[in-house]
Amino acid sequence: MAAADSPSTALRRRDLCSRGIRLAGKMRADVVDLLDVYVEQQGLDASASVAAVEGVPLAAVERWDEQTGTQRLLENLAAYRAFRALLAQMLEEQREQLGEADAGLGRALAAVLLQVSAFTYHLEELLRLESRGIPGEEGDGPPPPPRLSLFEQKLRGLGVLRELAQWAVRSARDLRQLAKPGPATGTAPGLAESP
Amino acid sequence: VQYERVGADVTMKCGSMDWDAAVTWTVNGTDIDESRLNGSYLILKNVDLSQSGQYFCYEGSSWHLKYQTYLRVGTPPKEPVLMCRSNNYPKGFYCSWHLPTPTYIPNTFNISVIHGTKDMVCEKDAVPKNRCHIRYLQLFSTVKYKVTLTVTNALGKNFTTLTFDEFAIVKPDPPESVVAKPVPNNPRRLEVSWQNPSSWPDPESFPLKFFLRYRPLILDQWQHVELSDGTSHTITDAYAGKEYIIQVAAKDSDIGTWSDWSVAVHATPWTEEPKHLTTEAQITETTSASTSSFMAPPTTKICDKGAVVGSGAVAVCWTAGLVVAAYSVLFI
Repeated sequence: MAAADSPSTALRRRDLCSRGIRLAGKMRADVVDLLDVYVEQQGLDASASVAAVEGVPLAAVERWDEQTGTQRLLENLAAYRAFRALLAQMLEEQREQLGEADAGLGRALAAVLLQVSAFTYHLEELLRLESRGIPGEEGDGPPPPPRLSLFEQKLRGLGVLRELAQWAVRSARDLRQLAKPGPATGTAPGLAESP
Repeated sequence: VQYERVGADVTMKCGSMDWDAAVTWTVNGTDIDESRLNGSYLILKNVDLSQSGQYFCYEGSSWHLKYQTYLRVGTPPKEPVLMCRSNNYPKGFYCSWHLPTPTYIPNTFNISVIHGTKDMVCEKDAVPKNRCHIRYLQLFSTVKYKVTLTVTNALGKNFTTLTFDEFAIVKPDPPESVVAKPVPNNPRRLEVSWQNPSSWPDPESFPLKFFLRYRPLILDQWQHVELSDGTSHTITDAYAGKEYIIQVAAKDSDIGTWSDWSVAVHATPWTEEPKHLTTEAQITETTSASTSSFMAPPTTKICDKGAVVGSGAVAVCWTAGLVVAAYSVLFI
């Protein structure tokens, strides 16, 4: 059931959305910078095509404009929880491979991980605001993948960062849709119950 | 119709007539000189565009028509120029094309669009003819689009391919209805306002940011201001009395590239007395050191030639002199 839209709820939602939009923008800028560093330091070709990697949430979506607010929040939440786990794994792999030799890349990864965590929190708050139950995390993360070769790890990392950059753009758009005042119908683009 | 390349040698046979038959060839109703004939064959060496036309061959004595053809001289197509752009994101994008040089004969264009493994249909626009558009089926995809344009005519074919991702081709149309107005009682201000381009479908969810540039007509250097939201801006550092030229460009807040500059608008800041600007009545601008709000005397014609005191570079209209004196007294 959609919560009644009291003025304080609407204000809190708008506040969360606008802060989330700013965070998504900063996150995207940092991920784009990180991508440049990552490609260079991992010796990759920036234009290399990376096939969809298992466990990396794809930002691509059909009929984006028809999604309800709840769908947007839930898809975003699932994605950023997955990115949180993937980035933590990348950080661990960095440390194993390069130790202290690549502290800059490690720090940049850690900074993005922090932003992803903060954004996840924003999404959870928005869902709480709508009295939506927050899906548990147990089933969210991908099962531990089989041990990849060093090169496969690098390519997966490239895929993760690229997809995260796309998600950051999508999330800003999603939050703008959420922040729109919508009519109280089930198919409103704002926060409305999906039929 | 017979198509031949520019520079080719063309031999036309008069139908089933023997080589030694007496014939007359005409082109566009004019007899062709016999020196161009080899027996009954018409020989055209190194054809050029001017030799395109309707050719007839008549039997010598009876003037029976034995052969006719429409000769069109042209060239095979060079590599076409292809451009794709989304000015209505997130609805879709369009591609447009042209040939760098004309072929002078009919061409057909075929365009294919692939997104990953999926073929997409690019619907041809009625106007202009060399354009087609595609609706996005997916948004926020990292998979690139590959567009191939093939051009074919009777003398050959050529093609070109563009590969791009969804964000890279986003380029709005320029802002519309740019208006610049003076601000009453503010000699250094100009109020500029504009509207989102009408082709941009959802500025609320996909807001645009703007870039404004302005300069006085008498200077070459532009001032720039980037604005992250809003469709208006007040210029506060205009030179008093100088006519300004102002333009605005737009970009999606997150992705893509800047639009072309809008149509330029002109405006002059408010001056104390609304007069026409004239280049002859330049009065040296003076400022008071005691205040930054001192209004420099406007470069407007405020006196008749007969009221001018002095001559050359220091000629000062006595009325203007009074004004300057009055202001100086005020602010000392």
